[in-house]
Amino acid sequence: MRPSHKLFIFILLLMLVDGVLYLHAKRLDNDLKSDRVLQKIAVAGLGLTDLCIATEARYTRHPAVSDPMAPFMDHPGAIEHFPTGSFWNAPENTGQR
Amino acid sequence: MIPKNLEKQLNILDFSLSSLWRRKLKNLGLMLVFALVIFLLGSFQMLTGALTNSAEAVLVNTPDITIQKISAGRQEAIPLGYIEKLHPIYGIRAIIPRVWGYYFDESNLANFTILALESDAMPYASNLNLTLVHGHFPKRTEQGNAVIGRSVQDILGLDGRRVFSLFRPDLSLKSFNVIGLFSQQTDLLTNDLIVMNLDDARDLFAMPPSVATDLCVYVANPTEIETIAKKIAGVLPDTRVLTKKQIQKTYQVVFSWRSGFASICLLTALVAFVILAWDKASGLSPEEKREIGILKILGWETGDILAVRFWESTLVSSLAFIIGCTAAYIHVAFFDATLLKPVMVGWSVIHPPFRLLPSVTLADLLLIFTFSVLPYLGATIIPAWRCSTVPPDSVIR
Repeated sequence: MRPSHKLFIFILLLMLVDGVLYLHAKRLDNDLKSDRVLQKIAVAGLGLTDLCIATEARYTRHPAVSDPMAPFMDHPGAIEHFPTGSFWNAPENTGQR
Repeated sequence: MIPKNLEKQLNILDFSLSSLWRRKLKNLGLMLVFALVIFLLGSFQMLTGALTNSAEAVLVNTPDITIQKISAGRQEAIPLGYIEKLHPIYGIRAIIPRVWGYYFDESNLANFTILALESDAMPYASNLNLTLVHGHFPKRTEQGNAVIGRSVQDILGLDGRRVFSLFRPDLSLKSFNVIGLFSQQTDLLTNDLIVMNLDDARDLFAMPPSVATDLCVYVANPTEIETIAKKIAGVLPDTRVLTKKQIQKTYQVVFSWRSGFASICLLTALVAFVILAWDKASGLSPEEKREIGILKILGWETGDILAVRFWESTLVSSLAFIIGCTAAYIHVAFFDATLLKPVMVGWSVIHPPFRLLPSVTLADLLLIFTFSVLPYLGATIIPAWRCSTVPPDSVIR
């Protein structure tokens, strides 16, 4: 067998794996749709504003409604020290009061 | 019958594969490192994209306007008297005070979110119990009852019990009866929540009954949200007025290439490529130079040698790209982005499960491709071209 034929078989195998993952994505999307219906009800009924991802600091638990100076509030000149703070970008509305 | 040009390219491809296989340890190692960098970038992009998409999909029903009182640059409790001041503003449908905050459980080092509001007055109030596995939300008259998220149940060890206690600021205990548990399907939002009625929350936080944490404002006509928000800011100058649009926009910008960790990932990847490119561009090994010289003596043209180099580089980088992206999808979809999650949740004790659909967009794939494959192609073909234009006898001598 020519080396290029082996390569084509390997590429086909990769495409097959990616095809299966594509089908998985379609299925997961369908499953998540039913979750989202409930999540939308929870958001509306409880007035939620944020996703529950990082709970270590208030500005990463609720970045949308957090006080913009909360990361630096420990004392004047304080620096932000929570690990997630380095991962999250400052929300856009921090320019406002 | 294969066209002559295609046959030639196939032969060159065969030669390139054999050449790669001859130095398999070096090339496989290179491909693995390459795939690892692409996997890291891809995982980050797929995870943050998935979170952004989820936020965009579920946060459509956030309050139209949220009002917070600001004093000395910090948020503080808002007096309920402010509701009266807003009544003259035409177009406001409802103003609902909320009491919410954080409770740090010292024995488990976990931060819970306490939330209290009159859920009967909220949109979708009649369907709200659907978000629970069992039970119902506490009514205004039901004192000492709470609905909890799944992580709260786990951390407080409430599997067999229905009663738990939290400390007030003066360290006296307040007991709660669990009357409902949030469904696993809403974990992305409610995992750390403890929902109770307003009186209980004020009692727990020692807040006077005349204040709330913030006010949720609902507007009759959604197109008037911005106008009404401006009017509210005028009537209540000591407040911060957040509109639904701003809240929804937060998650579109909160995870971006500008955010710290992403910059570090990107920078690391770029530095790796710069080193790789430097190594490659600084010249071919004497063995590789001799191989090119021999090929030229055998009658190969410069174009053919470049084609071999092109195929070699394309194979290594493209296969690394496909393998890296596939592994990134598997990492996010099947393994809850295990490698990135510790960085994302930081010191959090509550680790909500990420049931997310990895975001795979053409734009992201092209971005990763441009940052990884194209520099590698450039870095390998240019030195090969420089070498292949040198007279062969001077190379093999």
